[in-house]
Amino acid sequence: MPPLEVILQQAFNGLMLGVMYALIAVGFTLFFGVLDVIHFSHGDIFTLGAFAGLSLTFLWGAVGLGNPAVALLLTFLGALLLTGLIGVGAERACVKPLAKAPPLMTLLATLSLGLVIREAILIFYPRGADPKPFPAMLPQGLWEIGGVVIRYENLVILAIGAGAMVLVDLIINRTRVGASMRAVAQDAEAAQMMGVNLNRTVDFTFFLGSALAAVAGILNGLYYSEIHFIMGIMGGVIGFSAAAIGGLGNVYGAILGGLLFGVLQTLAAAFIPRGSEFRDVVAFAVVMVFMVFKPTGILGEKTIERV
Amino acid sequence: MGGLIGVWAVELGLFVLVVAALLAERPIAVGLTVAAIALLLVAVQTSVRVWGWMATSFRTHRAAALGGAATLALALPFFLRASPYWTFVATMALLYVTIGQGLNLQMGTAGVINLAGAAFAGLGGYTVGLLTVRLGFAPWLAFAIGPLVAMVVGALLFIPILKVRGHYLALVTIAFGFIFNILMNNLEFTGGPQGIKNIPTLRLFGHAFTTAPTLFGVTLPSHANFYYAALAMAALVTWLAWRLYNSWVGLTLNTLRDDEIAAKCSGVSVTRHKLLAFSIGNLFVGLAGGFYAVMVGFVSPPDFDFGYSLVMLSVIILGGLDSIPGVVLGACLLIPLPERFRMLHEYRLLLYGAAIVLMLLFRPRGLWPAGVRRYGLGRPAGSFGAAGTRAEGVGVSR
Repeated sequence: MPPLEVILQQAFNGLMLGVMYALIAVGFTLFFGVLDVIHFSHGDIFTLGAFAGLSLTFLWGAVGLGNPAVALLLTFLGALLLTGLIGVGAERACVKPLAKAPPLMTLLATLSLGLVIREAILIFYPRGADPKPFPAMLPQGLWEIGGVVIRYENLVILAIGAGAMVLVDLIINRTRVGASMRAVAQDAEAAQMMGVNLNRTVDFTFFLGSALAAVAGILNGLYYSEIHFIMGIMGGVIGFSAAAIGGLGNVYGAILGGLLFGVLQTLAAAFIPRGSEFRDVVAFAVVMVFMVFKPTGILGEKTIERV
Repeated sequence: MGGLIGVWAVELGLFVLVVAALLAERPIAVGLTVAAIALLLVAVQTSVRVWGWMATSFRTHRAAALGGAATLALALPFFLRASPYWTFVATMALLYVTIGQGLNLQMGTAGVINLAGAAFAGLGGYTVGLLTVRLGFAPWLAFAIGPLVAMVVGALLFIPILKVRGHYLALVTIAFGFIFNILMNNLEFTGGPQGIKNIPTLRLFGHAFTTAPTLFGVTLPSHANFYYAALAMAALVTWLAWRLYNSWVGLTLNTLRDDEIAAKCSGVSVTRHKLLAFSIGNLFVGLAGGFYAVMVGFVSPPDFDFGYSLVMLSVIILGGLDSIPGVVLGACLLIPLPERFRMLHEYRLLLYGAAIVLMLLFRPRGLWPAGVRRYGLGRPAGSFGAAGTRAEGVGVSR
C-alpha cells in the first residue's frame, strides 16, 4: 500500500490525463450519437491537432508575437479551426459515402484513414519519426499541499479542459445547431422532416468533435512537453474506451469515462509493482470487464434491438 | 482443347512476366514489366470478349488451371534461385495467404471483427519460441502447439464478450492487441524488447530447413525449404477454408453476418458459430505466426504490432472480403509490391491505407469479389461438388 500522498498525487495526475481523454471521448460519443458510426481516425485527428498547434507556435515565433497569452490563444484558435476542418473533410471522404454500407465498412475505412493521417505526419512533417518537443507556454511554478505537488500549468490545463467541456455542453443544450444535433441523434429522418439540415448538422458535429480533439492534442503537448506522430493510436483507443465505458452517445458519460480511465491508469501505476509499464494493461483489462458486465456503459441506455 | 491450352498459356505468360518483374535489375525494366502486367490485366478486364473467353475456359478447365498454377508455384524457387531474398519475400506472401484465410473466415465470412491479427500471429510465434528455447520442446511439437495456443487464447477472450458486438468487438480486439504487445515488451520470460533469439529450425527426415536443398541437380537457396513448406501450408489452409466456405457452416456464417437476428430465428446457434469461426481463424493466423518464428529464428514485439494487423486487414480488403481466391490475390500483390519498389517502401503503410480507403469507397467488394452462392440449379460444370456449390468469382460477378 503506497502512502496516502502518493495516491493523492496519482489521482491528481489521473485527473489531468482524464481531462484529455474525456475531450477525445466526447468526440467519439458525438459522432456515434449523431451518425451511429465510430470514427476510428479520431485518434489521429487528435495527433493532427497537436501538430497543428506546434506548427502554429513556430509561426508565432517567426512573426515575432511577443505576448505569450495571445500566442497561446491564437495557437488554440488556429489549431481548432484547422483540425475541425480536417475532421469535416474526413467525414465527407470516409464516413458519409459509406453511411448506407454495413458498419464494418465505415470502421475499416476510418481505421485506414487514420493510418494514412499517421503515416502522412511521419513522412511529411520534418523529421516526423522523432518525438517533437512542445514549447512550454503556460506559467511555471508549483504549490505543495500536504506532499501533493500541484503545478500551475496543470491547473491551467485543467481549466482549459473543463472550459472546453462546459462550452460543448452549452453548444449542445443552448444553441440552435445543438438542438438540431440532438434532433438528428434521436431520429435523423424525423429531424429532416422538421426542417433540420442533416448535412450541415453532421458537418458541424464533426467540426466540433475534431476541434475538441485538437484541444486535447495541444493540452497533451503542454502536459508532456512532447508530441509524437504515433500517439494517436493510443489516444484513439483510450478515447474510444472512455466513451464506451461511459455509454456511447452520452456526452456526460464520455467525460466520466475519460476521467475514470485516467485515474485508473495512474492508480494502477501507483499500486502495482512496475505499474507504470503495465498501467495500460490494467486499464484495458478493466474496459474489457466493463464490456462484459455493462456493455451499454455507465450512463448508456439499454438498447432494444430491432427485429 | 483450345481452352485448355489457352488457360495454361495465360498462366505461363503471367508467371514469366511476374518472374521477370521480380528479377529485373534496372528500375526501368521493373517499371516496364509491372506496367505490362497492369496494362494486360486492364485490357483483359475491359474487353468483354476476352474476359468472357477467359472466364469460361478457366471455369470449364478448373482442375487443369489449378494444376497449372500449382506447377508454376512449385517451379518458382528454381527461377528465383539466384536471389534468396525474393524466395523469402515469396514465402512471406504465402504466410500472408495463410493469415488472410483465417482473418477472412472471421471478418469476411462470419462478420466477427478481429483487429488483433498480429497479436494472434504473435501468440503462435512466441509460443513456439518459448517452448523451444526456454523449455526445450522439439521444434515440431512446439510448432503444433503454437497455433493451438492462439486458438485457445482467442476463444477465452471471446467467450466473455460474445454479447458484445460490432464496434465494441473492434475495441476489445484492439485493446487485446495492445495488451499483448505491452506484456511481451515488459515481461521477463518473453525476453522483453529483445524478444526470443535462436529459435531452432525444423528438420524433416534429417534434413534441416536451414541447409540448402538440391532438387533435380539444382541447388536452391536454403529459404526454398521454407517456401515449399509455406506453400504446402497455404495450400492446405486455403483448401480447408474453401471446404468450410462451401459447407453448411460457411453458409450459416454468412447468414449470421448478414442478419444475426434472422439467423437466430432460423435456428442458428450464433454463439457457437461465431466462436467456431473466430477459433478456426485464429488457428490459421497462429499457424502462420509459428511458421514465421521457426523461419526467421527470432521473435520480438515489433514484429507483431498494430501496424501489421492493419497490413493483414489490407490483404483481405484488397482481395475482397469473403473471397477465398481474393485473399490469395491480395497477399500476392500487397507483400511483394513494396519490396519491389524499394523507393516506395517508406510510403508503404501510407499507400496501404489509401488503397483500402479507395477500395472501400469505389470497389468495396475487392479486386476478386466473392461470387454469388448458387444452389439447386444443378452443378455448374467443373465445380467441386459439395452441399453448397459456389460459382467461381470470375465472370459471374460482372
